[in-house]
Amino acid sequence: MQEDTDPQKLYSGPLVAASLSLLLAFLTLMVSHHISRLTRELDNIVHAYGHWIPGSTGSGPDGSIGSYSGKETLALGVWLSSWLIFHFLWRRQELSVRAWTRIFVIGLLAITLGFFHPLSDPVVLFIAGLFGIA
Amino acid sequence: MRAGDYSHDHFGKTVIRIQVAIACSLLLMLPAANFFYPTDYALKAGIHGISAILAVVVGTYLTHRAIPLVKGMRVRLESLRHWVAAATLINLAGAVSGNWIYMRYRGQDGPRDWILERVPNFHNVLMEFKEFASLFPFPLMLSAAFMLYYYGASLQFRHDIGRFVGVTILVSWSFLLLGFVAGLILAKLRFV
Repeated sequence: MQEDTDPQKLYSGPLVAASLSLLLAFLTLMVSHHISRLTRELDNIVHAYGHWIPGSTGSGPDGSIGSYSGKETLALGVWLSSWLIFHFLWRRQELSVRAWTRIFVIGLLAITLGFFHPLSDPVVLFIAGLFGIA
Repeated sequence: MRAGDYSHDHFGKTVIRIQVAIACSLLLMLPAANFFYPTDYALKAGIHGISAILAVVVGTYLTHRAIPLVKGMRVRLESLRHWVAAATLINLAGAVSGNWIYMRYRGQDGPRDWILERVPNFHNVLMEFKEFASLFPFPLMLSAAFMLYYYGASLQFRHDIGRFVGVTILVSWSFLLLGFVAGLILAKLRFV
């Protein structure tokens, strides 16, 4: 895909674009997940984004994935659109991969801990309190 | 022994291949048995189990291919990117089938109801974590595959980029393992 350029001249921009968009997608999953847990109305808003996914609504023994579908949809949207934008912005951009590797791994770790409710719930409730929700 | 030299004789390779084949077949029998379980959701459970185990097996193999990348050694790029592309597809299958079986998990009198009634923290903490951690390996593998195809053979000029791809594969595997173990615990606790 780089045939038209000097093979020795590589830019790290596309690498950062591909991985930064992942962090943003995972962050979207986390934020939408915590938002959906606050109130019934917020859950419905998140859920509405996922109605296109088969099995996103319904009850009974077969169940449905509920608002999980909306969280996935929002994350997919953020992932693919931010990847596209950053990729074209940074196609010819050199960024420090050494520094980015560190930020990427620490960022992933932090987001992962954000899905661990005993740790994240107090923080979420504190922030929600500031906005007067829940 | 020179550093980075990896060589087995013919006999050694045969032994390793037979060992891998036996281990994989036995391991796959574990989720394949789901197809015969007395439940209406045997097909969904079997497909998710098989794609999850395959993803873990391929992901684990790839960690060994990732180490030379991290260390900046020469790698067989063609074979590596085929494996990473295959792992991407298997992880997609794992995520999609996971969504499929998750519907029944949340269904009326499904595992969620059962767990919430008896040991709620297995749902409130473990499952709430697992459902998201398990979504991570597919996009991580896809980004690793993208980098391997995008940078191609010129990767050998940039150890920092190779290292990042290696780290991405290792990170993807760790999420696979987290999701896999959590999934096993939940399936053992209450099957669909």
